[in-house]
Amino acid sequence: MSKRVVVTGLGLVCALGENTEQCWNAAVNGVSGIRPVKSVNAEGCYANLGAEVDTPNEKLSDEDYDRSSLLCIKAAGEALADSGFEVTPENSGRIGVIIGNCVGGAVSIDKYYTAKQNGGGKNTDVLKMPAAALANNVAYHFGLNGTTANIVNACAAGTISLGYAADLIRSGKADAFVAGGSDSFSSLAFAGFHALHALDENACSPFNRSSGITLGEGAGILIIESYEHAKARGAKIYCEVLGSGVSSDAHHITAPRPDGQGQMLAITRAIENSGLSANDIDYINAHGTGTAKNDEAEFLSLHTLFDENDHLSVSSTKSMTGHCLGAAGSIEAVFTVKAVCEGVVPPTIGYTDENLQALKEKAGNIDFVPNSKRVKDIKFAASNSFAFGGNNASIVFAKEPRDIPDRTNNERIFVTGIGELIGKPTVEISGDDYKEHGIKMAFYRKLDRFSQLQLISGMRALKDADITISEENETDIGIVVGTADGPLTEVYNFQKTVCESGTAAGSAFSFPNTVYNAAGGYFSIFAGIKGYNVTNANSIQAGLQSLCYAADVIRNGDESIMIATGTDENTEVTGYLYDTLGLLESGKLGEGSVSIVLESETSANKRGAKKYAELVGWASAHKSVEFGKLKGSEDALKEAILKACENAGIKPDDIDILCGFKNGTPAVDEIQDKIYGELFGGKVVQEIKAERDDFSVEARAAGAAAAAANWARLLSKPAASGKYALVTSFGVGGQYSAVVLKKVD
Amino acid sequence: MNHEEICAKIKDMLVENLRIPAEELEYTSELFGDDIGLDSIDSIEIIAGIDNLFGVQMTGAARENFQTVETLANYVENNQ
Repeated sequence: MSKRVVVTGLGLVCALGENTEQCWNAAVNGVSGIRPVKSVNAEGCYANLGAEVDTPNEKLSDEDYDRSSLLCIKAAGEALADSGFEVTPENSGRIGVIIGNCVGGAVSIDKYYTAKQNGGGKNTDVLKMPAAALANNVAYHFGLNGTTANIVNACAAGTISLGYAADLIRSGKADAFVAGGSDSFSSLAFAGFHALHALDENACSPFNRSSGITLGEGAGILIIESYEHAKARGAKIYCEVLGSGVSSDAHHITAPRPDGQGQMLAITRAIENSGLSANDIDYINAHGTGTAKNDEAEFLSLHTLFDENDHLSVSSTKSMTGHCLGAAGSIEAVFTVKAVCEGVVPPTIGYTDENLQALKEKAGNIDFVPNSKRVKDIKFAASNSFAFGGNNASIVFAKEPRDIPDRTNNERIFVTGIGELIGKPTVEISGDDYKEHGIKMAFYRKLDRFSQLQLISGMRALKDADITISEENETDIGIVVGTADGPLTEVYNFQKTVCESGTAAGSAFSFPNTVYNAAGGYFSIFAGIKGYNVTNANSIQAGLQSLCYAADVIRNGDESIMIATGTDENTEVTGYLYDTLGLLESGKLGEGSVSIVLESETSANKRGAKKYAELVGWASAHKSVEFGKLKGSEDALKEAILKACENAGIKPDDIDILCGFKNGTPAVDEIQDKIYGELFGGKVVQEIKAERDDFSVEARAAGAAAAAANWARLLSKPAASGKYALVTSFGVGGQYSAVVLKKVD
Repeated sequence: MNHEEICAKIKDMLVENLRIPAEELEYTSELFGDDIGLDSIDSIEIIAGIDNLFGVQMTGAARENFQTVETLANYVENNQ
C-alpha cells in the first residue's frame, strides 16, 4: 500500500479575489475577472484584455520582491494559516516549498530596463529577475527550511509541482510542502502571445469560440502533506492527492500534438497511478485555454478517453481567471479540490444561446458545464495542464481515502551515458556539432543559446549511452533539466525590444525560447522523448538536484531511463547581470550543458549498457537565507551530505573521493571548508576546475552536473582508487544537493 | 532603393531575426521548403520585418510571395 497524501490548506489569489473563498464564490457563480489591462501598455495591439489582480504589490506583502513572489507569498500565507501549520524552529525543516512558474521575474526585467533607458535602474531589481528566486523567497519569508524547487515548465508548471511534492512525500523524503504556482501579469507574456496571434480580442471562450487566450495572473497554493503528519497535528483534511502523470508531446515548441497523444498519456498515467479507470472520474478541470489548437486537441483527448464515462463534467475556469501560465495548474487545482469538497462544478462561461446549440452537437457524453455551475457528488476529479515545449501534466484528487498502487522501483540505478559541452568562458558550437547528430539548420536556427547547449549535450549523452529512441522506449525515457539562470539572455533581449519599441513589437520568433522549459522541450522534440519532462531553476545546484529528481522519478516507477542535465549559458547579458549584482565576477563565469543518463538496472542490463558508476545516494536540503546569500545556511549542506550517505547506506567516513564546489567567493568557500572539515576532517578535496583545463571557475548548473559526470567517468576506470565519490553543490539562498556515486561492482 | 538593395535588406533581416546562417541563404533559396525550412511562426516575423523595413503590409498576401528573398523583394517593389 502506498502512503496517503492529503491536502490540508488552500490559498488563492487571482483576478476573482484575494483569497480562496472570494475566488471560489466568484467561480461557481460564473463571475469573470477579465477586464481591459492596466499593468501593460496595449497600445498598437489588436487585443487589450487580461485578468489582473487589483491588489498592488505593497498590499500583497511587505517584502521587496518581484510581483510573482509577492502573489505567491500572499497565497502561501493563506494556505499555511488555513492548514493550521505553525512554523517553529523545530518543525521548519519538515516543510518544503515547490513552486511552479513561467515568466520568472519578467516584471522586474521590464522595470529595470525601462528605468535604465531613463538613466536609472536599481541593482536590486537584477536579483529579482531569475525564476530561481521564487521558492526561496517564499521559504525565507515564512522561515521554512525543507527542500525547495522551482518548476519552470510554463503552463504545466503549477500541476507538475503538486505531483512532485506528493511524490516526494510518498517516497518518505518530506512530510509536507507549500506547493503550487505563481505568475504575474507581464509585458513579456502579453507581447509574446500577441506576436503569436494567440490572444483573443474578446474574453477567451474555451471549448466554444476558441479564438485565443486571455492572460491572467495569480497564485494558487496547496499544503500537501502526508496523512500521518496531518493526523499527528490534528489538521483538517480537505481531500486526498492521488496519482499524477507527466509526459512530452515531442512534437512542436508551441503547438500541441493535434492527435492528443501526449495529453492522453499524461491523463492516463495520472488515472492509472491513482488505481482508477477513466470511468471513475467525475470532474476534470480542463486545460481549456481557448486557442483553437488546444481546444481541438483537448476535445479529441477527452472524447477518446472518456466517451464511455456517463457522469463526467469538464469545465475551464480560465474563462473567468484568464490563463495564469505557471500558476494556472495550481489555481485550477484549488478549484478542483473545492469542487470535490463542496460537490459543485464551476462552469465555463461565455456561451450564447447559439453557442449552446453548437456545444450540444460536439459535447457527446461529456457535460461541459456551460455558463452555470453543476451541483453533483464528486468522488474523483482531475486537473489537466499542457504547456509550451509539449509538456503535459495531470493530477487526480479524491474525496475519500483510497489505496493507490505502490509502483516503487527499488532497483539499482546506474550512470550509463554522459554528454558534455563545456567551455571557458564560452563554448564554440559549430555546424559539425549539429551534423554529428543529424540536426538540420531548419531546426537548430530556432534555438537560443541555452537551448542549443542543452540539445547538443542531450544528444551526445544518448549517443554515448547507445540509446536509440523508438516506439518501444519513447515513453520510458524522461528529462530533468537543471539551471541557475535559464534562457535569461533571450528573455532580456525580448524584453528590451518591448521596452524600446512597444508591446506590439514583441518577436514571435524568440518568444517560445523565453520559457525556461524550451530547452528541454526542443531536446524532447528532436530526440522523440515522450516521457517525464521537467525543468528546475534552482540556482547553481540545480545541475546536481536534477540527478536527485531524475533518480526519484526512476524510484517512483515512472520511467526506466532519465536524462539529468545541468545547463547554463554565458553571454554578454549574463555577464552584465552578474557584474551588476556583484555576487560573482563575470570573468569567473563559464557555460555549458552536461547531460547524464541514469538508468534502472533491468533496463541497463537488457540493453547491455556500459555502466560508468552506480548512483547510490542522493539528497537535497535547504536552510532559508535571503536569495543571493549563503551565510548561515551551512547546516543544509551537512544535511544533504548526511542524507545522501544514509540513502547510500554508508557513513561519511566511507567516502573515498571527495569533490568540492569552491569558486573563490569567500562566502562559498567558507561553507565548504567548514562542513567538509566537520564531516571529513583533513581529507583531500578534489575540484573539477583543477582537474580539467576546459573549466572556468563557475559554470553554474553545467559545472554542478559536470562534477558528477567527471567522477562517474573516473570511477569507471580500472585504475580508479576508491569506491565511493561524493559530489555536492550549492545554491544561493541556501539550497544544497549531494550525490554519492559508487564504483560498479 | 533598387531590387538588389531591397534583396540585401531582406536577407539581413532574415539572418538577424530568424537566425538563418547568412552563407546558407541565397536570394533564390526556398524559404519554406527543404532549403531553409521556415514555418508559420517565421512568417509572422517576416511580415513584421517587412513592415518595419519598408512600411509594406504583407498580412493576407498570397503564399507565393513568401517563397524566396526575390519574391519578397518583388512584392515590396510592387506595393511600395
